[in-house]
Amino acid sequence: MSHSILRAPIVRGLFWAVVGFVLAAALVGGIRTAMGLDFWNTTVDWVIAYPVALLGWLMGVGVWPQWGREWLGGKAEPYALTGWQRYFGFSPDHKVIGIQYAVTFIVLFLLAGLAAMLIRIELAQPGLQLFTSDQYNAAMSFHGITMVAVAVATLLGGFGNYLVPLMIGARDMAFPRLNALSYWLVPPVAILLVIAVGMGGWDSGWTAYPPLSEVNKEGQVLFNLAVITFGVVSILGGINFLVTVTYMRAPGLTWFRLPIFVWGAISASLISFFFTQAFAAALLMVLLDRALGTSFFRASGGGSALLYEHIFWFYSHPAVYVMVLPGFGAALEILSHMSKKPLFAYRWAAGAMLGIVALSGIVWAHHMFTSGMDPALHAPFLVLTELISIPTGLIFLSALGTIWQGKLWLQTPMLFALAFVFNFLLGGVTGIYLADVPTDLHLHDTYFVVAHFHYTIVGGEIFALFAALYYWFPKFTGRMYSERLGKIHFWMMFLGFQLTFIPMFRVGIQGMNRRVADYPAAYGEYNLFISFAAFLLGASFLFFTWNMLASWFRGPAAAANPWRASTLEWQVSSPPPEHNFDEIPVITGDPYGYGGAGPAHNRPLGGLAAGSEGGS
Amino acid sequence: MRRDMKLMLAVWVAVTAASLAVSYFVLRTLSFPTPGAAEDGIIDDAFMALTYMATPVFGLVIAVLFVAMLRFRGSGGPEDGAPIRGGGTIPKVWFAVTTVLAVVLIVYPGLTGLIAIRQHAKPDLEITATGSMWQWTVDYPASGVKIAGAKELVLPVNQHIQVNVASKDILHSFWIPAFRQRMDAVPGQTSSIYITPDRIGDPSDAAYRLQCSQLCGVGHAYMAMPVRVVSQDEFKAWLVSQQKTAEAR
Ligand SMILES: [Cu+2]
Ligand SMILES: [Cu+2]
Repeated sequence: MSHSILRAPIVRGLFWAVVGFVLAAALVGGIRTAMGLDFWNTTVDWVIAYPVALLGWLMGVGVWPQWGREWLGGKAEPYALTGWQRYFGFSPDHKVIGIQYAVTFIVLFLLAGLAAMLIRIELAQPGLQLFTSDQYNAAMSFHGITMVAVAVATLLGGFGNYLVPLMIGARDMAFPRLNALSYWLVPPVAILLVIAVGMGGWDSGWTAYPPLSEVNKEGQVLFNLAVITFGVVSILGGINFLVTVTYMRAPGLTWFRLPIFVWGAISASLISFFFTQAFAAALLMVLLDRALGTSFFRASGGGSALLYEHIFWFYSHPAVYVMVLPGFGAALEILSHMSKKPLFAYRWAAGAMLGIVALSGIVWAHHMFTSGMDPALHAPFLVLTELISIPTGLIFLSALGTIWQGKLWLQTPMLFALAFVFNFLLGGVTGIYLADVPTDLHLHDTYFVVAHFHYTIVGGEIFALFAALYYWFPKFTGRMYSERLGKIHFWMMFLGFQLTFIPMFRVGIQGMNRRVADYPAAYGEYNLFISFAAFLLGASFLFFTWNMLASWFRGPAAAANPWRASTLEWQVSSPPPEHNFDEIPVITGDPYGYGGAGPAHNRPLGGLAAGSEGGS
Repeated sequence: MRRDMKLMLAVWVAVTAASLAVSYFVLRTLSFPTPGAAEDGIIDDAFMALTYMATPVFGLVIAVLFVAMLRFRGSGGPEDGAPIRGGGTIPKVWFAVTTVLAVVLIVYPGLTGLIAIRQHAKPDLEITATGSMWQWTVDYPASGVKIAGAKELVLPVNQHIQVNVASKDILHSFWIPAFRQRMDAVPGQTSSIYITPDRIGDPSDAAYRLQCSQLCGVGHAYMAMPVRVVSQDEFKAWLVSQQKTAEAR
């Protein structure tokens, strides 16, 4: 027994990570001592020893036996773990990896949510109660970056990995081992962030603007390393989705017969693939400024702090769409299947997603209207940013057209998908105020911004994520969740969310700036109200967690197609067999054959969407 | 079908009207912090213009959601919804309408507001606010008054003021809610905004505070001080008293 635990992939990974770290740190220390410097320097040691530790971790967790040996002419071992143990090793199976991503990030979501609760305890009254200013900044920064990672990776990494191969009639992703490698880069990200908090955290938020991020505590170094690693996850995942969808679609599955969720996943992947390196490079430059004394962002050495803002937002605005596009996809998917109606204006919706990808790369400086950048940039970025409302409007058309005259089945996933439409409306509309230069001069860096981006990312993407979670839960686990607990979760979360963030718009307009532990007494009443609403929002996740755990272990067995849905993943058992399809299906129509002649859905494989020709 | 469409149109009109009324009577009068500068109008008007324009969009989405949830219910039975695919003229019309709306927004209040806020006369007074962790140094170069670690910001009423914003160390941001505008303090460069305080301010009002609004570490929340807008005579007297304190040192 103890023998097998010691051979568990995670234990081996940790062992080699520690060995790698200690060896590299000892080497650095030796060289430093020889140079007459201190043996230990947190920044230098982490920057050099962490990559070595990361390599040790990856090799130990399974890259070496299952992949690396081939590089030296040897023979790779097949993946041997079965049952629940599959989830704790280097599995190349996209379904295992999807669940690994989803569970890891839901756990991180709950952890970062807990940080939000602590933040709301602190902000309930003016003055400092729970935290010092420094601890507050650490909690706020941890909440920020962790939720950003959750928003980027849960739908795309979790649901994308699980569903895209199934939806396109493939047996796996194009690069299964690369896929496993991407996932196993995630635990180091989480571990680094937690260690950083243990070291006292860092106080520059998730944005890590220099010069602050070059002069603050060493937790910043771990933050940068974590986010660079996470960037690699994003880029590798993006490549894998793009290649998979391009080359592995089943016969007959043309681009315009893809389920809209697949469009969301590839649009988001295009952005991850093209833009992430900018953020990673910027954080690397911060590390070089810190560790080697370069001066990319230090004015005293000829650098520019504004340069960082440009590079940072060049990725981080598109990143919003890495979060939201799979959310659009999931919500539209669910609206169609739960309305029993074809997706309205399907080609327009798919085109809108690509339009958003294109525009996303040329709007970043709307985050910098008050940064002191050249005022000549204000007008073009105002114009380009407002244009995003056009493709986004098409997503709304698709959603509204789909439910109109449908047969709305108001189960938990559908409630979340409908709430997504409502929330994203408020998120989108309030975004216009921030893209408009005059209003942004006042609203920038206030709680108006906090409310706005929570409406787009939580109200939009995270509500879509929960829609997806309930909708595909039976497919993932082979069990049904409790509808009653699901609805309790929905209503508490929906009400808690509105009551938390609507007042934030106002208190922001009134003059409360964000990222502060303390504020003028004038904003006290609003903040007390917001805190209680936030506790309601937080409490809703108790019901969620209970539902997920209880249903996964003891829920009633789920049918192959409990929603009578028409897409491919529902035409195989719940959960799907190991290689998804015994026989690769042949696709003859679009994925939304509702209302057509004959039994339009719940068809056996092979006859999928027969009699409902695709397109318009 | 007809009835549903009529109901939807009615809800659309009702929600739009109701939100217009709430925007006009409640938001417009209650939301903004105390207005303190001549330029505030540009910003507050732009805010309200965007709000009014948003109401029909808001109304439409609410109306469709409401009617769909009320009238188009199913229970997962074998029945399907209508096989409408939306490939005809509706998306084209929608696309055209949203494009027009976006262009309108861009022109007004977007670019017109931008032009308005950029137009400023020759300043009557120039001051420089330099941020550092975690305080402001305020410089009145014409009078030779320079206050490091200022405890309050004193400004004259009805003077057009150029505020130069600079930083000694890291990013900070100069923001007074009563004056609406803000500007980041960036090391290595000086950026300016123009404000014309047009009424005597009450420094105990949270809107009359100079607040650093760019995250700058531990002292960020407290990098703030009251702003006192005083009559021009009082301002002159205050400058003289500051010159005297400086000489006495
Ligand atoms: Cu943006
Ligand atoms: Cu500051």
